[in-house]
Amino acid sequence: MSLLADLPAPTAPPRQEIRQPSRKPFLPWLLLSATMVILGVLTGYPVLRLVVMSFQEYERAQLMGLPAEWVGFDNYATVLTDVEGFWAVLGRSFALMVVLVVTTMVLGMLVALLMIRIGKGMRLLVSVGLLLAWAMPSLAATTVWGWVFDTQYGVVNNVLTAITGDRWFGNSWLLNPWSFFLILTCIIVWGAVPFVAFTLYAGLTQIPEEVMEAAQLDGASAFQRFRLIQVPYVRSIITVLVILSMIWDLKVFTQVFVLQDIGGDRELTNTIGVYIYQTGMAQGHYGLASAIGVIFVVVMLAISYPYVRRTLREEEL
Amino acid sequence: MHRDTKSYPGRNPNVNTNRLVGAAASAITLTLALSACGNAGGAATAEETGPGEVRVWLVGSDTPVEARDYLKKTFEEENPGSTLVIEEQAWEGLVDKYTTALSGSDAPDVVEIGNTQAAAFTSAGYFREITADEFETLGGSDLLPGFVEAGDWEGNHYALPYYSGSRVVFYSEQILGDTEVPTTLDEYVETAVDLKTDDLSGVYWPGQDWYNALPFIWENGGFVAEQAEDGTWEAGFSSEGGLAGLEQIQTIMTKGNNAPADTNEADLQVPFCEGKVAFLSAPSWIQWSINAPEEPEDPEGVPGCASTYGKDLQGFALPGKDGGAAQVFAGGSNIAIAQKSARPDLAMSAYEILLSDEYQSILAGAGLFPAKTSLFEQVDQESSIGKAAAEAAANAKLTPASPKWADVESKMLLQTAFTKIASGEDVKTVAEQLDADIEEILNS
Repeated sequence: MSLLADLPAPTAPPRQEIRQPSRKPFLPWLLLSATMVILGVLTGYPVLRLVVMSFQEYERAQLMGLPAEWVGFDNYATVLTDVEGFWAVLGRSFALMVVLVVTTMVLGMLVALLMIRIGKGMRLLVSVGLLLAWAMPSLAATTVWGWVFDTQYGVVNNVLTAITGDRWFGNSWLLNPWSFFLILTCIIVWGAVPFVAFTLYAGLTQIPEEVMEAAQLDGASAFQRFRLIQVPYVRSIITVLVILSMIWDLKVFTQVFVLQDIGGDRELTNTIGVYIYQTGMAQGHYGLASAIGVIFVVVMLAISYPYVRRTLREEEL
Repeated sequence: MHRDTKSYPGRNPNVNTNRLVGAAASAITLTLALSACGNAGGAATAEETGPGEVRVWLVGSDTPVEARDYLKKTFEEENPGSTLVIEEQAWEGLVDKYTTALSGSDAPDVVEIGNTQAAAFTSAGYFREITADEFETLGGSDLLPGFVEAGDWEGNHYALPYYSGSRVVFYSEQILGDTEVPTTLDEYVETAVDLKTDDLSGVYWPGQDWYNALPFIWENGGFVAEQAEDGTWEAGFSSEGGLAGLEQIQTIMTKGNNAPADTNEADLQVPFCEGKVAFLSAPSWIQWSINAPEEPEDPEGVPGCASTYGKDLQGFALPGKDGGAAQVFAGGSNIAIAQKSARPDLAMSAYEILLSDEYQSILAGAGLFPAKTSLFEQVDQESSIGKAAAEAAANAKLTPASPKWADVESKMLLQTAFTKIASGEDVKTVAEQLDADIEEILNS
C-alpha cells in the first residue's frame, strides 16, 4: 500500500543486538531529540499550561501578572452545565462534522473513480484543478466565497436576478444559519475533496487489473465491482481518511471565523474552535476557555484512538 | 488551517496525536506563551536611556497623513537618534489583538483604543498610569471630560482622549432636490420612508451599524444599560422608550433603506458615490472619503466622487425628538501608553506630542474634534458639516462605563440584534433577548 510505504522498519536486525548487548541504543534518541524538543516546546508546554489554567481563574488581569487563583473544577462545572452555550456548540460542531465528512468522502470517491476512467490529458487537467483548490489558503478561499455570496454585489444574487427576473439584490445568504452552514459546507468540502480524491485515487490504482477483469468476465456489474472489490481493497485507506476528516472538520476554525465576520449570527453559527477563541481571546475568560479546550482535547483523543491503534497494528505486521 | 500537508495518514502516529492535541490548544497557545513572559513582572524592569525605537499603534485611517508626518518628524527632532514607527491597526478584532499584543514582551509603546473599549484594558492593568502631575501637563481639565472618564479606572488616569467625532447626517443636494431637511426625529423617519425607491435609500443603514441606532433609543427615553444602587446592571432596550426607539429604527431599516441587513458600516462612501443614498449618518471624517477624487493620485487611495455627489455635500445634526440635535453616540478614541512599553520615557515623549496643541490642531483641521475643548474652535464650523458636527458633539453620550462592555462589543451582540431588526423580526423579542444577553455579561 503506497500510503504506508514510508513507515520506518519496525525491528532492528537481530545480529546487532547480539553484538552490542550492553550498549543502550543512543543514536535513535539523538535523531529523535530535535523532534522531541520542538514538540515539547510547541505542543507539550502549551498543553501543560492549558491543563493548569483550566483549574484557575484566569482573566485579562492575570495575563498582566496578577497571581491566578486556583478554583478546582469550577471552570469545568461552568462549562458542562452550560447547555445553551457549550453543549449547543458541541452538538452543532458534530452535526456539521457528519455532513462534511459524508459529503467529502462521497465526492472524493466519485472524483477518484472519474480520474481512473478519463484519459491522460483530462486527468492532468483534473489533477491541476484539484491541486489548485487544495493549495488555496483557506483564508483567501473563504474571502472569495464571501464575495460570491455578497448581499449587494455578489455574483450569485446577480445571476439569480438575471435568471428569475426577481430582485435578489439585498438577499442575505449568511444571515440565516441554514444557508450560512450551506455555504460553509461548500467552502470546506471544496477545500477537502482534493486530498481525499488523490489519496483514494492512489489506492484504487493499486488494485490488480486482473482481479477487476476477472470479475467483469464473471458478469459483475460496475456497481458490484465497486462494492465487492474496489471498496474492500481500499477499506483501510477509507477508515484513515474518515478519521482524519472527522478531526479536521471538528476543529475547523478559519472558514467559520471569516464567514462570521463577513456576516451572520455568531451565537447561532459558532463551532467549537471559534467558541474557544471567542471565550478566551475575545472575551478574556482564559480559564473557562482552557477548560473547554481540555474537554475538546479529550474528545479529539477519543476520536483519533482508532486511527492510532490501526496504524500501530499495521506497523506490527 | 483546515488541511495540512504534514498530515498524511501513515506517518508516525505519535507525531499525529501530538499534533492534534496541539491543534486543539492552538487558539490558546499564543496566549500561554505570552503569559509566561507576562508573569515575569509588571512594568519594564530596566529603564533604558539613549536612543531607541517607539512604536505607535493608530487604528483605522482616521488620523490624517499630515498628522502622522508631524508626529514622526517632531518626535525624531526632540529625541535625536530615536525613531518613531506608526503601525496602523484595523478596528475589527482590536480587543483580541490588544489583549495578546499588550501583554507580550514585544508590546507597542503607545496605542489608540476605541473609547468604549478602553475599560477592558484600564481595569486589567494593560496601560501605564498617567500621574496627576503628568495629567496636568498634558492638558488637565482642558481634556474632553467624557473621554477622560472613559479612560479612568478606580480614580486613576490610564488612557486620555485622542479625538472625538460624532455622527453627522450627510446628503447631496442633487439627490435631495426640493425635499426639506427634517427637523425632528419623527420627520427624519417619515422623510426616509417617503424618499425610498428601489434605487434610492432614504437613509442608508447597514444592519450591523448599531452606533447609529443609539440616538433613537436615547431620544425616546430608553437607555442602553444602567447600574442600580447595588451594582447590578439593567439593560434598557426592552424598556418602553427603548422599544419605541427600536420601532422607529425598524421602520427606517425595512421601509426606508436598501442597505443589506447583515453588513457593517465599512466603506459607506461607495453607495453614496453611486448616488443611491439620500441621507447617510456617518462620522464627520467620511466627508474626505466622499470628496476624494474619482481617480486618486495615490495608487492605494480609495476613490470618492469629488466631481459629482461630493460637490454639493451638506450635513446636519440628527434631529432630536422635539427638534434640536439628538443625543448621539460619542464616537472617538483614547490613547494610552502600554504598561509593557520597553521605553516608557520615549513613549511619554511621543504621547506629549500626540496631545500637544499643534498636533491636535492638525486633527481639528481634518474635521475631527480634538482632545482639548479649547481647540474646538479650530474645527471649521463655517460649512454645514462642521456646524452639524459641533452640534452633535455637544449632545453626545457614551456607552455604559463597565469594563465588561467591551465583551458585549466583541461578542457582537448589538450587531446581531440590529441585523435581526433590519430583517424584520419582532422588535420586542429581539430587545428582550438582547437585554438578557447584555445583563448576563455586565453582571457576570
